[in-house]
Amino acid sequence: MNEASARETRVAEAPAKPNSSAIFIVVAAWIVPGMGHLLLRRWGRAIVFFIAVGGLAVTGYLLRGNIFPPRGGDAFSTLGFLADAGSGVFYYFARFFEAAGPDVSRAAGDYGTRFIAAAGVVNLISVCDAYEIATRRRS
Amino acid sequence: MLIATKPIGHFPALLIFALMASLALACVTHRTTAERIKYAAWSFFLFVAIAVGIAWAMYPFSR
Repeated sequence: MNEASARETRVAEAPAKPNSSAIFIVVAAWIVPGMGHLLLRRWGRAIVFFIAVGGLAVTGYLLRGNIFPPRGGDAFSTLGFLADAGSGVFYYFARFFEAAGPDVSRAAGDYGTRFIAAAGVVNLISVCDAYEIATRRRS
Repeated sequence: MLIATKPIGHFPALLIFALMASLALACVTHRTTAERIKYAAWSFFLFVAIAVGIAWAMYPFSR
């Protein structure tokens, strides 16, 4: 392999710098779970992430889990908010699904809190995955 | 109230969590469909088996 072809190989293998489209995909993937993969034409992953995040979030709401508000007042509440808000649009639909409000006096409500947080974390993982595909770090 | 809050049992909740988490992790960590299905099935089984195992281990102390 000569120097020119070696350089071409290095350029081809190097991850592309994040551009405006990658940032747009990250934002879209966060707001609507699976949307980033949809824009990247990864249909299967888009459907799986939407169902996984939506399923966890809606189940958490039906279990009447606690939804952390943006200004919780302590570090734990802030972390809870960050995890919950990770599910994007599902966080803002919380009042629609959980009109009766949270009830953590029962074990089910406590489980629901974890479901809602897990939905956010799964969506953040999907955002990272979409970003890596957009910047060609993975297929 | 726009959507009625239905009670979901602990075991169905466990199954839903295991299924959703397994699907998401399989999509992120494996590339081919066959690998993903195999990983998701194995992960789902382990989620459920370990949870039931821990539940049985905790049973003598639950009352």
